[in-house]
Amino acid sequence: MDSKLIQTALADISAERDGTAKSLKLASLCSALWGERGVELVVVGGSAIEILTEGAYASGDLNMCHVHPTTLPIRERQEIMGRLGAKGGPRNWQVAGMYLDLLGPVESFARTPFRRVQGPYGEVQVMKTEDLLVERVLCSVYPERDETARRCARELAMVALSGVVPVDWSEVLRVANLPEYRNVEECRSLVNEVANEHQLESPLRADTD
Amino acid sequence: MKSPMNTNSKARCVPIPIDGVISYEDWLQGRRYRRELSQLVAPGVSRRPGSSSDRRLKALFNGERGLPFTPTEQL
Repeated sequence: MDSKLIQTALADISAERDGTAKSLKLASLCSALWGERGVELVVVGGSAIEILTEGAYASGDLNMCHVHPTTLPIRERQEIMGRLGAKGGPRNWQVAGMYLDLLGPVESFARTPFRRVQGPYGEVQVMKTEDLLVERVLCSVYPERDETARRCARELAMVALSGVVPVDWSEVLRVANLPEYRNVEECRSLVNEVANEHQLESPLRADTD
Repeated sequence: MKSPMNTNSKARCVPIPIDGVISYEDWLQGRRYRRELSQLVAPGVSRRPGSSSDRRLKALFNGERGLPFTPTEQL
């Protein structure tokens, strides 16, 4: 990506006043630049949930991971982010009026692909909805009841049940049944609750397995 | 696609697919409908009131933890 396009992108991202669009645009730019050096990035956590649900959850930091175990040497990271006028590093930067946190290798258990949005500066990979749902359900009850995590899980369940963010429900059950989670019943309960409230069919009713 | 009651959007949105890629324009166009669906099950703002990043976030966002959310009707 040439310097002129980077400057155009930075001006656009800096001027963006919608947090979700700003995150997606920054993720698009960073994915393109890191991708040029052979490292795939993926949006995770609250930023990913926001892109998928518009749930009014995310804060002003964009969380990304690298898809494969290896990442760039610190020197290269700083060079890339230096091209964006970023401050800080080598794992979090202030850039274009927000923060970017690079959290290390992605923690994903679902066998489905990362979701993909064609951003304005390059394709953006987004954490798998199946992983996000199971994780948010777990955080909503362990180590203690967490109302914010529960709201996120309900939002993910709603967009999934409504078909606007299709989900592989068999993968949800498989991931929830892994030793890492062991929360199948909590997932069933939350998804069925949302389905019942809005007269939607739930793929997680016990008699539909 | 099933349609829950009580959403105001006249237009449905293009799903974010499991396989394949959604265009930026389709993602933008679907934001309002996704927000309306989320608001049905979690009305209001879901942003955490605080976190370990508060100091840096509040310094950058005038005492808030991020930019204000765009109202649903403007999406």
